[in-house]
Amino acid sequence: MNASRSGVPGRIIFHVDMDAFYASVEQLDSPEWRGLPVLVGGTGPRGVVAAASYEARGFGVRSAMPMSEALRRCPRAICARPRMDRYREVSREVFAIFRSLTPLVQGLSLDEAFLDVSDQVRTRRQARELGKFIKQQIHKATGLTASVGIGPNKLVAKIASDLEKPDGLVLVGKMEVQEVLDPLPVRVINGIGPRTGEVLESRGIHLIRDLRNCPVELLTPVFGRFTRRMLDKASGIDDRPVEPGGKSKSISAEETFDQDLLELPEMLEQLSLISIRTARRLAAKELQATTVSVKIRDREFRTVTRQHSFSPATQSVDILEQTARHLLEQWRVEYPYSAVRLLGVGVSGLEPARQMDLFASEVETSSSQVQELIKQVRQRYGSKALRKGSEPDGKRQA
Amino acid sequence: MKLSANREVLLAPLQAVIGVVERRQTMPILANMLVVARQGVLSVTATDLEVELVASTEVNVEEEGEITLPGRKLLDICKALPEGAKINLSVLADKATIRSGKSRFTLSTLPATEFPTIEEMNVQQKLKISQEAIRSLLQKTHFSMAQQDVRYYLNGLLLEVENNILRAVATDGHRLALSEVDFDSKESSEGLQVIVPRKGVLELQRLLGSDADVVLSIGSNHIRVELDSIRFTSKLIDGRFPEYGRVIPQGANQVMIADRGILRAAMQRTAILSNEKYRGIRLELKAGLLTMQAHNPEQEEAEEEVEVQYEGDEIEIGFNVNYILDALGAVEGDEVQVTLGDSNSSCVISETGGARSKYVVMPMRL
Repeated sequence: MNASRSGVPGRIIFHVDMDAFYASVEQLDSPEWRGLPVLVGGTGPRGVVAAASYEARGFGVRSAMPMSEALRRCPRAICARPRMDRYREVSREVFAIFRSLTPLVQGLSLDEAFLDVSDQVRTRRQARELGKFIKQQIHKATGLTASVGIGPNKLVAKIASDLEKPDGLVLVGKMEVQEVLDPLPVRVINGIGPRTGEVLESRGIHLIRDLRNCPVELLTPVFGRFTRRMLDKASGIDDRPVEPGGKSKSISAEETFDQDLLELPEMLEQLSLISIRTARRLAAKELQATTVSVKIRDREFRTVTRQHSFSPATQSVDILEQTARHLLEQWRVEYPYSAVRLLGVGVSGLEPARQMDLFASEVETSSSQVQELIKQVRQRYGSKALRKGSEPDGKRQA
Repeated sequence: MKLSANREVLLAPLQAVIGVVERRQTMPILANMLVVARQGVLSVTATDLEVELVASTEVNVEEEGEITLPGRKLLDICKALPEGAKINLSVLADKATIRSGKSRFTLSTLPATEFPTIEEMNVQQKLKISQEAIRSLLQKTHFSMAQQDVRYYLNGLLLEVENNILRAVATDGHRLALSEVDFDSKESSEGLQVIVPRKGVLELQRLLGSDADVVLSIGSNHIRVELDSIRFTSKLIDGRFPEYGRVIPQGANQVMIADRGILRAAMQRTAILSNEKYRGIRLELKAGLLTMQAHNPEQEEAEEEVEVQYEGDEIEIGFNVNYILDALGAVEGDEVQVTLGDSNSSCVISETGGARSKYVVMPMRL
């Protein structure tokens, strides 16, 4: 039914992004903080800035910066602990406004969404009016400001919403896409992170214009099979539809142990069990993943996550389990003496599992049944009752 | 060391081994070739620590010796000299000099003693087989090997010896290829399974050509193939290959027989409009007729009809078209046989009659 919407002329896409969302909510709830630099995030020694008010950004503070660094740059800043429940509550009000306008709302996070309003507006003037209307509605309902980017697709809309932040409204018509994108740095393109950005800049590609005009041969070593896609992006071409609905972005399982795990072999065993749980959830949803992540929390409550991506996407228990084990082994090299209180295995980069696996059923039954049995034996007779033949006794008991 | 030879004589062994000379210079010596001149024979060895190639040729040896030289440069120099040129190679202290006509090149060297060569093999089985037979085994299966899979034992080819049969099996978890040939053997051979790494398979394929026989030796850690003037040795993958027999469907399924050329051409056309990422095509099979369809995110569509011999139930099933095309390309004969279960079970593609090569492909969900 959406034939006319996937990539074809006449789409009007909004990207609505709340301005410094968490920090703005804090300023809203604590009026005495308005006009002052506010940082939301962890205040412990390992805390990170989750959001910074615009007053704080003036001091060079950015989100994801270590809190200690942020406070060095802006010592007078007010620190607030995140109150996710409150943010969710505000987010619900904002999304209710979106959904009152169109069913085609794709939330990216609590404070950000794409809206396909192709059926609601026809002209530039109408689009701009609707943009203003959304901003007014959000302000009326929550007292917060948002920036709206309007474009012919998601890529352009997202870039547009960032151009006049905060409280911005930018409309980029089809004919202006090139003109608007060309002078922007390549890093505004989703998918060009700091590392790729550096590689491109070392080759003299700084602006989107440079990228757009760059011969394919020069880009292939950087982007590989994504070269065409990147060139499309540089030309502002993006056919991805706005995908409403609560699709899972990741699936995971984790376990906190009654007693901290001290040795790698027992950690690996537990990790395998958790991987199998994750893999089963993945299979139950008929999805496959391209990324496996392992979460490790140690006795000191330090939480580390490690992840690895591969291609093609897979549902294979074997691959997920082995990747997870490998990540844990790598972690162990760095933290040889840590005791582990929690392990988790997550998968992301999810897509429908179309290709079926030859060995899926075999691995599934053999390895999960065995693991289940091991678990039962251990629950009844203790964790040392059963161990792998490959594990030397002495090492375990030492 | 001092030797001389015609450009073409020198080029042959250099070109034969260049494939395993490291490009990424992880260990400087791996960018070198071991050059040994002894009793009128020049032998050149290259290795990437996984695959070792030794090629030899007769040259005029004035002074025996051994040394390692930068492989790529040595080949490039010889290649760039004029046809029929006479080339002199001499080594003095740690410099090697190449002279030919008015050209002169000085190359750096590393001592031969530092060059890693594969230690003696512990041969468990030795068999004589035609090059053509091995080449066909590899050609009919290699494309199903996995590539950089964490299931490292899939990144290679299973070679199995069983009662005068040599069998190759490759699988990436989505599809599986199996091919076998007979070989003559006086003594009854013991069953044996080894996994040859992907790199070794591809390199070996490059070497096989003529219909002469080769000697294939399988050891506990290595496999070796000796051709006339080239010796190929590869490490084996230490792992357990999946029990492939369990995923080859047996028993009474529904059989479709089609003209291989017509089916393949129709499928190639359909594939053009399949999703570039998933490569899915939908097959609808009913009595006497196969319909295939593909479409892509741009909503473009392809549809083809092919008359086939089929009398079973109506089936709708999806496949990655590349997997099917690979199999159709590898099967021999004018007719091809496809055995199907239901839309969630694998299909088997083979030639009609007693098939020595089989291709098992898992479907895609439509």
